Amino acid sequence: MTDVIASEWHKLRSLRSNAYLLAASLLAVLACAGVAYLIGRGFDHQTAEERLRFTGNGNGLGTGLPVAYFVFGTLGALTITAEHATGMIRTSLVAVPRRQLFLFAKIPGLAAVSLVAGQVLAFAMHLAAQAVLGDRAGQLLLDGGTLGTSLAEPGVLASVAVAGLSMAAAALIGLGVGAAIRSTPGSLVALVLVFLVLPVAAQALPSPLRARAGSYMIENLPAQIAGVDGLLPPEAAAALLAGYVAVALAAGAAVTALRGRRVKALAAGAVAVLLTGLVVVPASAGAAAGPSSLAWRACPGQDAPGDLRCASVEVPLDWAKPAGRKITVPVAMLPASGTGRRIGTVVSVPGGPGASGIDDLKQFHGRFAKLRDRFDVVSLAPRNTVEPGGPLPYDCLATGPWITLPGDRAEWAELTRRNRAHAERCRAADPELFDHMDSASVARDLDAVRAALGEQRLSFLANSYGGHPAEAYAHLFPARVRAMVLDGAATHQETSAATEPRLYARLERQLERFAAWCRSATACALHGRDAEAVWRRLVTAADESPVPVRNDPSRAAYTGFDFKTAAGPSFVSPGREPDVPRWVQLASAIEKAAGGDASGFADYVRQASGSPKVPSIAGQNMTHCLDGKGYESYAVYREALRKAAEVSPNFAGQRSWWPLACAGWPAPVTNPPAPLPAHGLPPFLAVGSWTDHDEVARAVRRVPGSSSVRYEGHGHTLYLSGTGGCVTAHVNRYLTSLRLPPPGTTCPATA
Amino acid sequence: MEPGAEGREALTDVTMRDEGKDVIDVRGLTMRYGRTVAVDELTFTVRPGLVTGFLGPNGAGKSTTMRAVLGLELPDAGEALVDGRPYVSLRRPMHTMGTLLDAGAVHGGRTARDHLGCLARSNGIGPARVAEVLGQVGLADVAGRRIGGFSLGMKQRLGVAAALLGDPAVLMFDEPLNGLDPEGIRWIRDLLRELAAEGRTVLLSSHLMNELALTADHVVVIGRGRLIADTTTGELAGRFRRDVLVRAERPERLAEVLRAHGATVTCADAAGDGLSVRGVDAAEIGALALRAGVALRELTSRSASLEEAFMELTEDSVEYGARPVTEAAR
Repeated sequence: MTDVIASEWHKLRSLRSNAYLLAASLLAVLACAGVAYLIGRGFDHQTAEERLRFTGNGNGLGTGLPVAYFVFGTLGALTITAEHATGMIRTSLVAVPRRQLFLFAKIPGLAAVSLVAGQVLAFAMHLAAQAVLGDRAGQLLLDGGTLGTSLAEPGVLASVAVAGLSMAAAALIGLGVGAAIRSTPGSLVALVLVFLVLPVAAQALPSPLRARAGSYMIENLPAQIAGVDGLLPPEAAAALLAGYVAVALAAGAAVTALRGRRVKALAAGAVAVLLTGLVVVPASAGAAAGPSSLAWRACPGQDAPGDLRCASVEVPLDWAKPAGRKITVPVAMLPASGTGRRIGTVVSVPGGPGASGIDDLKQFHGRFAKLRDRFDVVSLAPRNTVEPGGPLPYDCLATGPWITLPGDRAEWAELTRRNRAHAERCRAADPELFDHMDSASVARDLDAVRAALGEQRLSFLANSYGGHPAEAYAHLFPARVRAMVLDGAATHQETSAATEPRLYARLERQLERFAAWCRSATACALHGRDAEAVWRRLVTAADESPVPVRNDPSRAAYTGFDFKTAAGPSFVSPGREPDVPRWVQLASAIEKAAGGDASGFADYVRQASGSPKVPSIAGQNMTHCLDGKGYESYAVYREALRKAAEVSPNFAGQRSWWPLACAGWPAPVTNPPAPLPAHGLPPFLAVGSWTDHDEVARAVRRVPGSSSVRYEGHGHTLYLSGTGGCVTAHVNRYLTSLRLPPPGTTCPATA
Repeated sequence: MEPGAEGREALTDVTMRDEGKDVIDVRGLTMRYGRTVAVDELTFTVRPGLVTGFLGPNGAGKSTTMRAVLGLELPDAGEALVDGRPYVSLRRPMHTMGTLLDAGAVHGGRTARDHLGCLARSNGIGPARVAEVLGQVGLADVAGRRIGGFSLGMKQRLGVAAALLGDPAVLMFDEPLNGLDPEGIRWIRDLLRELAAEGRTVLLSSHLMNELALTADHVVVIGRGRLIADTTTGELAGRFRRDVLVRAERPERLAEVLRAHGATVTCADAAGDGLSVRGVDAAEIGALALRAGVALRELTSRSASLEEAFMELTEDSVEYGARPVTEAAR
């Protein structure tokens, strides 16, 4: 046995042509470098946003691999076909009459040479591609990958090493093919088909069939074995590679075993083995999630994208009584596109409170395009969704009383009475439901969705107030959290009073930005004046003497507090830059109000709420108040107001608008704020604009390893709104590979 | 000349050996390709100490038989054993039987030394033995040259060297004299006789009888896959004793006497003084001539050459193109 192996090794190394052939494999390095050069050149001529849309070059081996496979396959084939061509086979078989031994003795030498040469070549290909790309290799792409991936990145070293290994597999496949076909030209044609033509043909298929067919191609197996790319799980990809080698060698061995005539039966047998292998291995490779118990169907409504699927989950109304009354939570899914190996499910948690995540999926489905290469994207219309047709009266939920700043205990009691009266009106239709609208109940509903999906863990994209149910989920089910993105998410770790000083600072900072804009932009109605001073004079004077809304039948008048409440959101969100329409509108309204008419504010408030002043929305408060957003007492309120006056000359009192809405609320607090657990959670990623970043970054600070990305501009829920591909890229990278950007990472504002 | 004499001595020498030891034993071997029967119930044994010629026209089944002996082809019936065992069951077969099938069946890209080195290694034979056989066949000087540049004769020598690598007791050569120059032919004849004299079993095939006449002690003749003769070279030649050439002072008179005695007499040559006589042997012709008073100048008992004997034996069995040649030869 060892003698025969040694003999075959002697045969392999005593042919100079084999050395030339190995040298020819350097063509693969040239191919890799050439492709990297073309990518790099194209890249240099693009804008930052266009660069994000490039397709990554991966570990750089892509184009060169088929070339390398062909060379190694040829090396393998020639070890046997050259014997047939020269007649040496007869001499060899006379020396070693046991044919299987003769064929298999070729394997160790061939494998040894191609393993060593394959490793050298694979790393040369990778290094060449990376060197040509240079600094550009690190460029982040929209799908979360980079233009080139260096060996330092997870899985890349393995994928290059496995690619080297796969060249040995190609050599053995070549040996098997050569032994089966016996002729050199015939074998070369077969190898060209297998290594070069078939992958190109697979590329021509329509998606997602293209991805599925592509995942079976030998050139795509190394990355899948290393777990960095592709549809197949590593074990299946490895099994497939081994299977290809085994099938080729089995076919070769079967044909070699023949002496002359019994070709047909055995050849048919070999083909049957090959086909069976091709069907069985991939069939066992699919499916990642457990069995889903959801009955998915097309979503109703014209506005639903064609591939959006809807279903519903039944949950206990009161999670403390799981056997009690049930309510139905609608869910929707944008299924994974099937172009990459499915990782799991990303749940987009809607904000508000009161917004429907299903509406988010309908409106923003395009934002999830890249994410859907690897994930199902799921959302829900949570139990606290405010929309017509629910069990609670929509007209009641969609509005509420005007909030005033109580000056004394009597006014506090009056506000309490007013709040309670409206809340009771809404609550009367279904008190039990009304009392279970807290974010923790929504979090438990999310876990019911998880169970129904058959998932072990979920990845979250928490948008705005969706941070509350997301954080509640992290408290309740930390082990079920695979990844958590807080995108401008409202945090629920401190009392309202505790967060107020920071949020006032944010408002003051926004006023400065607004004033700066007014100084430079003629579109600002206050251009040429000191906007900050105008604003302060307005709110101070209005607190003394409210500014009437002209031509308003209800004779509403704006206090300083009313102006602050109405203007706050506009200061924070100027609208699309550089036009900043909301700031233009705000400046006009301020200018008009300074002239004694609050109708500029009343007009846009009425547009949004149907009321001349901003009503406190009962549909939001039913969650806010149960989440403990209110002040614990009148004393806490007074203390908060006193602090506000110290830190915020221009907005003091504005932040109290939300907590004051809960004074007198009929349902008790069931989900009070609490810091995130310091253990048991995976690192989180916080993303936010100028106005959101610091709060979300603070929210994830307790979770070890977490990081944040600051978007250097205005905006809210950046991922859904698609503000800055850079943010999307970081989020996709984190969700896909759980890799976080370094602390202090920023994304430039996009025009 | 008596080619069989030496062989007979060798035969008596090796009858002492174990039965089946070092022999090639073909028993009832039958090989078919589709409807064509290439080898038809062929049975013969090749014994040690002799050079056995394996004779037959092209296409007679010689190579097929040899391939069956080597296990390169599976027989449809019967078996071929080497040293009492199927060749394929031998663990290091080159130590038992050395073979030269086709001198061209080599990879031209290897040097002679590498080629032999590969074969040697597969049977556990060291490089020293490779150098030794290269010297033995006279290729030592070109050992480092690639076989692709070798003449056919050099390749034959290389093939012989490969056969000798394992110092086997049995040797089988398929048409080893092809492409050799006269010096090469003499060398290989001497080598084969030497090997047989050492007590080895030597089988060599040829389609040309005269190649074997001076070399083989024993011949196995086949045609169309069937055994035609399995005998000593001398016996085969003797079996085809043909006529007696007579030259006499008065040939007409002698012819008359001989015909009267029942002999067939024809002119032996164009000159007309030689007679070819059949039906009576030389001694009888001598006696009759004396009685008739005719003086004889020559009286030669003529036997057919091995070549002619072979042609006669196989004239029914040549597969293609041989018939006109045979007729021309007659």
